[in-house]
Amino acid sequence: MLETLLTPLQYEYMLKAILVSGVIGGVCAFLSCFITLKGWSLMGDALSHSVVPGVAIAYYFGWPFAAGAFATGLLAAAGMGFVKLKTRLREDAVIGVVFTAFFALGLFLISLFPSQVDLRSIIFGNILGISNADIAQVLAISAVTLLVLGVKWRDLLLFCFDPAQARALGLNTTVLHVTLLTLLSATAVAALQTVGALLVVAMFVTPGATAYLLTDRFGRMIGLAVAMGTGTSLAGAYASYFFDGSTGGCIVTLQTLVFVVALVLAPKHGLRASRARRIAAREEART
Amino acid sequence: MTSSPPAFSVQVDRVTVSYPNGTVALRDATFSLAGGSICALVGVNGSGKSTLFKTIMGIVVPAAGTVRVGDRPVREALKRNLVAYVPQAEEVDWSFPVSVWDVVLMGRYGHMNFLRLPRAEDRRIAEESLARVGMLEFRDRQIGELSGGQRKRVFLARAIAQQGRVILLDEPFTGVDVNTELAIIQLLRELRDAGCLLLVSTHNLGSVPEFCDHVVLVNRTVLAAGPIAEVFTEENLQRAFGGVLRHFRFDESTVQKHDGRAVTLLTDDERPLVFGKGGHVEYRQREGREDVVQKRAEGEEDV
Repeated sequence: MLETLLTPLQYEYMLKAILVSGVIGGVCAFLSCFITLKGWSLMGDALSHSVVPGVAIAYYFGWPFAAGAFATGLLAAAGMGFVKLKTRLREDAVIGVVFTAFFALGLFLISLFPSQVDLRSIIFGNILGISNADIAQVLAISAVTLLVLGVKWRDLLLFCFDPAQARALGLNTTVLHVTLLTLLSATAVAALQTVGALLVVAMFVTPGATAYLLTDRFGRMIGLAVAMGTGTSLAGAYASYFFDGSTGGCIVTLQTLVFVVALVLAPKHGLRASRARRIAAREEART
Repeated sequence: MTSSPPAFSVQVDRVTVSYPNGTVALRDATFSLAGGSICALVGVNGSGKSTLFKTIMGIVVPAAGTVRVGDRPVREALKRNLVAYVPQAEEVDWSFPVSVWDVVLMGRYGHMNFLRLPRAEDRRIAEESLARVGMLEFRDRQIGELSGGQRKRVFLARAIAQQGRVILLDEPFTGVDVNTELAIIQLLRELRDAGCLLLVSTHNLGSVPEFCDHVVLVNRTVLAAGPIAEVFTEENLQRAFGGVLRHFRFDESTVQKHDGRAVTLLTDDERPLVFGKGGHVEYRQREGREDVVQKRAEGEEDV
């Protein structure tokens, strides 16, 4: 039994996949606290799709995938910002138009050069086949993201909570805005390796959303989200060996399960707690 | 007062603000205010009150004209923590996972280092500010667990902790009970006496003369600005509000004893509810209420 459980750890590719997934899961979870509180979930989805053409171009020319992906991610973000500023369109419409345009361009480019670029690994992720060069890129992105968040989280928190106050204090909110967008694009590139473009948004939203249900303190929210993101990613990647299924699918399914448990059982903001409060209120009204 | 604070001013000079979509929110606005005063910013919704706030906070940059705070450009004034801000209740996400203490410490960010680690001094000032608004015992509460008045006081404490010289308050009295309103006014007076300039955006016309000494009337531009006694007149208010203002003229109403002189009641959000001397509801128009007028007249003769 124990031997069976340890089997995946005997393969180097599995060990790498599990550890890299864990790192990405933790970093995305840290960032997800800001994303969910800022209301940027849709933005996360958009950016993770917008990096696809960049990945395709980078692979075709043999550049580091992160550079290409990052470039088109930021280009998409800038495009959305520009269209929103200059037109009367609502933000969701702007995001919808821009990110599908980028994603479509990506699919088109990939279809032009099917031999160089593997569509499946971009859309669904391919952490089991990750190269050492790609691991280096992922780790570098994670390190920089952790450093920036670790140093600037208080400023970013204020920017999410009360941008006007941030301005009044003389903080440069434009820089904070761009910083958060840049981190989002960069980690989207990293997460793409693990769960694929389609599911990256889950890594950006679910851990933060779960932690938000469980606590009213930002510090604790970060702790819970990172623990949840890292844990589910490690476990999901590990479990995918036995199911012989998609690693990304495994990780995100696990995250959703944890979310559902929190949704029902969370001590204050869960369904059970609010039901108990409703019943208590009814009892009180009767007596 | 040991030392009188240095002269301090906000100068808005011929400011025009237009938004990227082309609408001009404010045209050629000019006024100047000095420290040690409470000034009301009065106008209808969309008249440019919040745009004025945003220019003083550097959030929007005027297309023409200049804003100077403490005789410095806005950017520099902000860097020196001169401008503090108390947001409107609707602008705050009350379910945000921050405590009262977190919010007040945010007022000290500008005084902290790069990492925003609070020093003992920052904690002491934050604590004092919370005590000053009477919210120290709530320091560990999540902000959504507070009542409307308590929420306002927490954000006021943040502004106090920041030690700004100009404090902008956006609709500070909406959703606040009368006692809290009085407490807030008392605090504003204390800050004024300490040399601060308080700029209060409000549509609560009735309370303006009660606690403000200056007023700026806006309607897409600055219509009039100056001491309450000179500027807060019926005529100027009519100009600022146009037909939007609710008007309750007592000479047409069911209130008794008309002697040719009229009492006027102005309000800009809801129609006022007026009770007569006998505690009964008064109506705005006598027409169609002859029976009521008759009854009141009889009642008054009895006395």
